[in-house]
Amino acid sequence: MSDLPVYVLEREFAAPRALVWRTWTEADLLAHWYGPGVETVIHELDVKPGGQWLNEMKMGERSGYQKSVYTEVTPPERLVMLMSTTDEDWALTPNPMMPDWPATLLTVVTFEEAGGTTKMRLEWSPHEASEAEIACFAGAVENLGKGWGAGMEMLEALLLDLQK
Amino acid sequence: MNIDLTTQPPPSLDTVFAAMADPTRRAILSRLAKGEASVNEIASPFEMSQPAVSKHLKVLERAGLVTRAVDQQRRPARLNAEPMREAVAWLEEFRTFWTGSFDQLDGLLDQLKKDVED
Repeated sequence: MSDLPVYVLEREFAAPRALVWRTWTEADLLAHWYGPGVETVIHELDVKPGGQWLNEMKMGERSGYQKSVYTEVTPPERLVMLMSTTDEDWALTPNPMMPDWPATLLTVVTFEEAGGTTKMRLEWSPHEASEAEIACFAGAVENLGKGWGAGMEMLEALLLDLQK
Repeated sequence: MNIDLTTQPPPSLDTVFAAMADPTRRAILSRLAKGEASVNEIASPFEMSQPAVSKHLKVLERAGLVTRAVDQQRRPARLNAEPMREAVAWLEEFRTFWTGSFDQLDGLLDQLKKDVED
């Protein structure tokens, strides 16, 4: 399992950890920041192992739906959930743009307090994924994440090539 | 026409990502970013057999990342960057979603801190 591709995003916030924790676990706060440029409607938020977060994102006429099931909740330092894209009945659906994008991503959020600020780290990896899903995600991660130094150079050459 | 331009439906992004998930294939793409090359020319720095390189090229061709000239004996491989641009756009969307959310979270935390102080 340890060789699964992992994509990591980190961010530091000038706020105490207890407060950052609340923004992930209280529906009115979570709806306030989650999803840029969309109206976020939280249909259910039950932050405990086995509980779920049912999330609708309204983009004009259309809506996107996500279901997350919590597997580990350790206030105020660690949240683990299984995040999936769903239809409006909260049934898992493959991404129309990218059928091999992993249907479910294991999402680990950790909060670390450092002198009044909070370091938040998000990790995504494919959960119970097919080989095709893992390959798809690995390609994404390697190009977006750690391999991006060389990748960026390559991309620049490619974009030049495109403009010929 | 030297270049094979058979019209096919564009390969899905899945195929593109899967093709790019292999370090050898990424190295081949990097090589081709500098200009077209024959199988021989691609194989030499890798200490790899020509059939092995051909296999990788086929995967890249299926993903639409590489085209092969048809009627030249050395059949040079040439990079086609368009699918990669779409793939990168997809990744950017994922990242933009989260970094955009974090920006909003930043603003919310500032607001919450003020509320506590007031």
